[in-house]
Amino acid sequence: MAVYLEAFRMVMAPDVIIAILLSSIYGLVVGSLPGLSATMATALLVPVTFYLSPIAAIATIISASAMAIFSGDIPGALLRIPGTPASAAYTDEAYAMTRKGQAELALGAGLWFSALGGIAGTLSLIVLAPPLAEIALSFSTFEYFWLALLGLMCATLVARSSPVKAIASMLLGLLITCVGMENPGGIARFTFGFTDLLGGIEVIPALVGVFAVSEVMRAMISTDPPKMPKRKYDSIMAGQWMLTRKDWRQMTRGNFVGIIIGVLPGAGADMAAWVSYAMSKRFSKEPEKFGTGHPEGLVEAGASNNASLASGWVPALLFGVPGDTITAIAIGVLYMKGLNPGPTLFTEKASSMYALYIVFIIANIIMIPLGIIMIRIAATVLRAPRSAILPVIVLCCAVGSFATGNSLFAVLTVAAFGIIGYVMEANGYPVAAMVLGIVMGTMVEQSFVTSLIKSDGSILPFFERPVSSVLAALTIGALAWPILFWAWRKFQATPASAKA
Amino acid sequence: MRLSDRITGGFLVVLGSVTAYAGSLLPPVPGQQVGPNVFPLVCGSLIAICGLLIALGIGRTFEDEAEADFSAHVGVIESDLPQTRLYKLRVLIPPALLLFYVLAVDGLGFVPTAAVIAFVIAVTLGANLKLAIPVALLSPVGVHLIFYKLLRVPLPDGLLPMPW
Repeated sequence: MAVYLEAFRMVMAPDVIIAILLSSIYGLVVGSLPGLSATMATALLVPVTFYLSPIAAIATIISASAMAIFSGDIPGALLRIPGTPASAAYTDEAYAMTRKGQAELALGAGLWFSALGGIAGTLSLIVLAPPLAEIALSFSTFEYFWLALLGLMCATLVARSSPVKAIASMLLGLLITCVGMENPGGIARFTFGFTDLLGGIEVIPALVGVFAVSEVMRAMISTDPPKMPKRKYDSIMAGQWMLTRKDWRQMTRGNFVGIIIGVLPGAGADMAAWVSYAMSKRFSKEPEKFGTGHPEGLVEAGASNNASLASGWVPALLFGVPGDTITAIAIGVLYMKGLNPGPTLFTEKASSMYALYIVFIIANIIMIPLGIIMIRIAATVLRAPRSAILPVIVLCCAVGSFATGNSLFAVLTVAAFGIIGYVMEANGYPVAAMVLGIVMGTMVEQSFVTSLIKSDGSILPFFERPVSSVLAALTIGALAWPILFWAWRKFQATPASAKA
Repeated sequence: MRLSDRITGGFLVVLGSVTAYAGSLLPPVPGQQVGPNVFPLVCGSLIAICGLLIALGIGRTFEDEAEADFSAHVGVIESDLPQTRLYKLRVLIPPALLLFYVLAVDGLGFVPTAAVIAFVIAVTLGANLKLAIPVALLSPVGVHLIFYKLLRVPLPDGLLPMPW
């Protein structure tokens, strides 16, 4: 009981409450601006978290990301432009509802089911984490190696791109972590004589470059999105209770799918929304209504993407394996704040863990009033032209990355990764896979080399322990899956074309 | 910056082979067979293999499907601006400005450097002077106030120290 009280005391500290409120507003605004994603919002927050207490730092990330995922629905419903990639799956549907004069219902559903989904995800985190921590305590470097690799493979599987390119991006990320002295031999590796590279390539500037600078670069050659029309709204929450009673099956299914996808390392909110929307259509009694402004898919996908956000923290907290790109950033913050991910977090820092649960629940509850305000003022906020917002973003990129180590080299890293991210994205190489490689590279290498030293250079022990053999089988399965899928389709296509 | 798969794949083959070779030259941990050499060797070789597959066009079908799926759901905003080669070089403006920041900030100080950056970005994105000048004047001061005063990041004063 004392632990719970301690957790409450931690969350109720004035700095934490202020951090939650301000980061919520920040998340709502950034998420609703088309082109600025939830991941970018989180990456730009990291330098600010240096100066906060551990709980306040985690709270800013949790609340900003949850709000941004919801508010991405707003321009989706009003302009048919998703504010974040996680809303892209059901943008058409929401826009069709707006055209039918049901903007309130569409936006309200986004808000209400986002909040419920977030709470469901939090519950899954509370329920799943302790038993998994129990199992994780018996893990050795072999299991950690396979787990990290499985996480990386999942990230490449769900990337909406060619699996070969996704794997190549992930390997590039791993290669980037090779730079510097932090390797098993402690020797300067790939530093080309630069002392700035001895410490390795910093994760935070790399993330800011890939997610923020490359986005500004893309904006340079695209046109301004259309202006949002000013409009009056009726009650936004009216009708939501009816919708919940009618579509509770879809909502529950969305929550479950979101939770599962969130727990899977590497797959995040956008994937959850795509899968849930497709599932909703597949199992619907009236699939023909989808795309014409039918709330069913909206309910399921909206519930799903926010649920995945919370459950993505399960592998991040337990194993240091990010559940999506947002938790990839969060892991960096956890390390910085002395809350190193791992099963012992639940025994040694139990009160911090409970505080984290409480923050999640608070963030999802205050999402409703703040979200209603945001919807009502969205037309005004979104009127701010890009040419006034992006200069500030670029300045924050420069100053924020400088703040990570008070070195100008970090600013160069941001610029370099902006270019890398832009070129990769333009050529179909998913940057999210590379980011996960960068975040997990050190862990993969450490567990790999330590295991190899333990086994005297033999790879057989990697498959001998029971848990590690299961994880190995899953990893190899994930690698083989695209090949099998491709072969199966080839096989199906050949007889058909032979007949014709 | 759309390059053909042959070019990007070929680049990965070269990059992978070079790092694998350079990695294999690193000394192992004393008394062990393995060390800092293994990981670059493995990653580099795998990258080279992936590069080869990409250059050969394997996995391309997945990409086409994903693209078709995405553009079916999200209306792609077609730009009506001239998309010449020179125009596309505009994407290099943000990284170039960051480079300018690195070179100039210690001499000029944060606020003047940031003002130049903000002004250039605003103008390239089509702001008229009535908007670009306030953006250039106000945003550096705001960013300085938050990061210097509240978060205590040591931003250089240079020519224009702020009163706080």
